[in-house]
Amino acid sequence: MSIKEKLITLSEASGVSGYENEVSEIIKKYFSEFTDEIYEDIMGNVIALKKGNGSGKKIMLMAHMDEIGLMLSNIDKDGRLRFSTLGGFDPRTLIYQDVIIHSKNKKIDGIIVPEKPTKSDGKAVMIPDLRIDTGYKKDEIEKIVEIGDIITIDRKVVELQNNYLSGKTFDDRACLGSLLIAGEELKKFNHDLDVYFVASVEEEVGTRGAATGAYGINPDMAIAIDVTFGRTLELAEEESVEMDKGVGFTLGGNIHHGMRKFLMKTAEEYSLPYQIEITPGPTGTDARSIQITRQGIPTILMSVPLRYMHTSTETISEKDVISTGKLIARFIAEIDDERLEELLCY
Amino acid sequence: MFNSELFEKLVSIHSPSGDEENIRDIIKKEIEDYVDSIEIDRLGNLIAKIEGTGPKIMVAAHMDQIGLMVTKIEDEGYLRFTNIGGINPYNILHQRFVFKDGLIGIVSKNGKADMKNLKLSDMFLDIGVKDKNEAEKKVSIGDMCTYLSKYQEDEQRIISACVDNRIGCYMAIEAIKSLKDQKSENELYIVFTVQEELGLRGATTAAFGIEPDIGIAVDVTGSGDTPDDEAFAIKLGNGAAIKVKDRGIVVDPKMKNYMIDLAKEKNIDYQLEILEYGATDSAAMQLSKAGVLAGVISVPTRYIHSPVETIYKKDLDQSLKLLVELLRDENIKELI
Repeated sequence: MSIKEKLITLSEASGVSGYENEVSEIIKKYFSEFTDEIYEDIMGNVIALKKGNGSGKKIMLMAHMDEIGLMLSNIDKDGRLRFSTLGGFDPRTLIYQDVIIHSKNKKIDGIIVPEKPTKSDGKAVMIPDLRIDTGYKKDEIEKIVEIGDIITIDRKVVELQNNYLSGKTFDDRACLGSLLIAGEELKKFNHDLDVYFVASVEEEVGTRGAATGAYGINPDMAIAIDVTFGRTLELAEEESVEMDKGVGFTLGGNIHHGMRKFLMKTAEEYSLPYQIEITPGPTGTDARSIQITRQGIPTILMSVPLRYMHTSTETISEKDVISTGKLIARFIAEIDDERLEELLCY
Repeated sequence: MFNSELFEKLVSIHSPSGDEENIRDIIKKEIEDYVDSIEIDRLGNLIAKIEGTGPKIMVAAHMDQIGLMVTKIEDEGYLRFTNIGGINPYNILHQRFVFKDGLIGIVSKNGKADMKNLKLSDMFLDIGVKDKNEAEKKVSIGDMCTYLSKYQEDEQRIISACVDNRIGCYMAIEAIKSLKDQKSENELYIVFTVQEELGLRGATTAAFGIEPDIGIAVDVTGSGDTPDDEAFAIKLGNGAAIKVKDRGIVVDPKMKNYMIDLAKEKNIDYQLEILEYGATDSAAMQLSKAGVLAGVISVPTRYIHSPVETIYKKDLDQSLKLLVELLRDENIKELI
């Protein structure tokens, strides 16, 4: 399977925060192509270990596999469904979308509609005023669905020009793609570090999987890999990075300086592209939780550019996914036990 | 059978977050004959243990309650205050509050306060003194007060302040008592936690110390059965609420489905709960160390954080039954 095919399969799989089962099975299969053992922790994080040849020092690579999604919260008298959200949605992106309701025994199609007639005042219909129409009457739908059923946007990946892919959930499945590239690349290198590949759960509801995953693994250093805003006309230069120009390195308090500097040096040495981003405080990624786990874990954040975040047309460049993965592998291969100590010293 | 004497005693105790001493003493006396050991940890959590060889199950029932804390004494003897936990200015206006020593204060508002946008900073406590001097003899900055509760019940309902979460404490106490004759191999840590209303702080440290395999919070949840409030699919009288998610937790579907199956098997009425605001001790337990399988049994409640929190006896009965069945269920080990 090519990386493009894997990215498409990952994007189209369902895995709303707390309900990552479907995507979890897929990523386990992909991880097994280059790791020695795979397990799942209590929260559901998928953890795959590729052993190194050193003294057992550990690096953790984490990309989250959950996606933002909806949850059935009540059934109206006319049979239309109310829903709650898991993760952050812009209500403008929801209206008139096709959805799939994942009920216990079957998947049902529905569409998101406004509860009342929409006004042409340009204002978005807010989420409490949206419903899902399945065509069923109340007495029919009640027999099929249950409060708490997961609902996802129904969206297949579209291939755009220049190897751009567009679909739901490239946040953060694109970065799982980079982990897969890194794993394949690492096969070519002799590396000291034990590498823990983690597909984390529940990032979108508050980096919950990252907290317990990092605690359980207790790595010596960690890289969180997540998406960042790819530049479009409406985004300011300082708030975004360019597509096709490589991974973003974040600077700020959440980031370990020694690791970050060495990562930049590695990128330059192997002519792999990178860009700089600024986040002064805790980032909105798994890195925020990882860094303050136990007595503290040196952590950096690598970000793959993505346009139209938290919509069902999230767009990425395959080129960025691949160069990010290659850089991760090079970085790991460059760190022997001795260098690790050097890097982590203040 | 509902033990109204016990519940009335529990709701009449002053126990704002951070000063849970009074309620802790009462609960300790109530349960000490029924458990194998009792410990009070550094934060003040009361941890009762029932020995077993099976999985470690931690139950968290928070024993703190919302309240007010004095921040300033005005020259005229009126007290300014801040909130302990989630206090809505409209809920407390012209309510009675009581301090630890029994002193009563009435909450009112400045003459020019904007009723459309009432803020705690425009409100004061009137303790019936003539000036600052006299007030200072009775209260100090930092003193806390809670709703003066008037307990009422009829055939259907229970009405009181701090049903949130004395009802959880009540359920935990009653579960301990009924487990005496229905022992299982499960190792039980029944924890009466502190400072839940300040951000699940007691449950965080208790779970860290106990390292449970399973964490169950017992708490209240809201309802959507009052006029123009139908978003929330919880109704008083429809049974125990099994948590699906709230702001702090997405309950693992494994745990949710286990509770549903158990309720069906034991003929317990239940409803599924998606709470759009708030969180419970379950969130702290779930994220403890490398993660804990956590769930919540909630009692549907109207008018939460007011002095007239209302529940139905039927729901309490079903919730307690579900808790007891879960704690004595030896098949629960298959979840982990």
